[in-house]
Amino acid sequence: MEHIVKERIKQVKKGDQSAYREIVELYQNKIYQHCYRMLGNVHEAEDIAQEAFIRAYVNIDSFDERRKFSSWLYRIATNLSIDRIRKRKPDYFLDAEVKGTDGLDMYSQMAASDRTPAEELESNELQRYIHKEISELPPKYRSIIVLRYLEEFSLQEISEILDIPIGTVKTRIHRGREALRKRLRHV
Amino acid sequence: MDAHKEHIKLMHKYLDGDLTKEEELVLSKHLEECEACQKHFHELNRTIALIQSTEQIAAPLHFTENVMKSLPKEKKRMKVIR
Repeated sequence: MEHIVKERIKQVKKGDQSAYREIVELYQNKIYQHCYRMLGNVHEAEDIAQEAFIRAYVNIDSFDERRKFSSWLYRIATNLSIDRIRKRKPDYFLDAEVKGTDGLDMYSQMAASDRTPAEELESNELQRYIHKEISELPPKYRSIIVLRYLEEFSLQEISEILDIPIGTVKTRIHRGREALRKRLRHV
Repeated sequence: MDAHKEHIKLMHKYLDGDLTKEEELVLSKHLEECEACQKHFHELNRTIALIQSTEQIAAPLHFTENVMKSLPKEKKRMKVIR
């Protein structure tokens, strides 16, 4: 996969815009999901994920090809998400209704599974609660918890993605885990 | 309290895969004796399991299309200039 990505990036750098499509297709779910976990809201997630791909395209010449493209993309998406959180008005809700869907929030848009409706409801409630607790963590802890436990990056990779020393990653992941432990221990 | 603090540090080192053999012994021995730390350790592990139980969601329909439409056109011109 990294090989294809490298090839496409070379083409994009030469000015072939259409080569970028494959890159977006390859990473769209990961980046969208990352933004969604950072922001806790589908509208903002779509907005910021798009912006991340556009930024990456515009700045592609500054991307160092010896590094991993996905790490670079995650860094852009994380920074944009944190910026958005900081600029946000204080009245933002996680389960904001999706416009024009009459009371449906993003949990009802998630992929259906084999569970019974009752199980589904219970699981959705729990998921909603966990998600809410994650999205209330301070952004600098949240990004690391999300990258580590939801996207399964190693601490070393997280240090590269966020461009912070590994010691800082460890301090933050410890605090993030403790904060979530307090929030989730009664579940 | 301070004793707990030191052991909690070890728990986090454990979760990051940074525990030495000696530290592992210290921690497991303490966990056998201390109920409060046992509870703390259990809660940490459970927290991680809960976070990881959340479902995956996919990007919305036409996401790629929308990105491609929003890209600036300059790149092609740059090619000509070069």
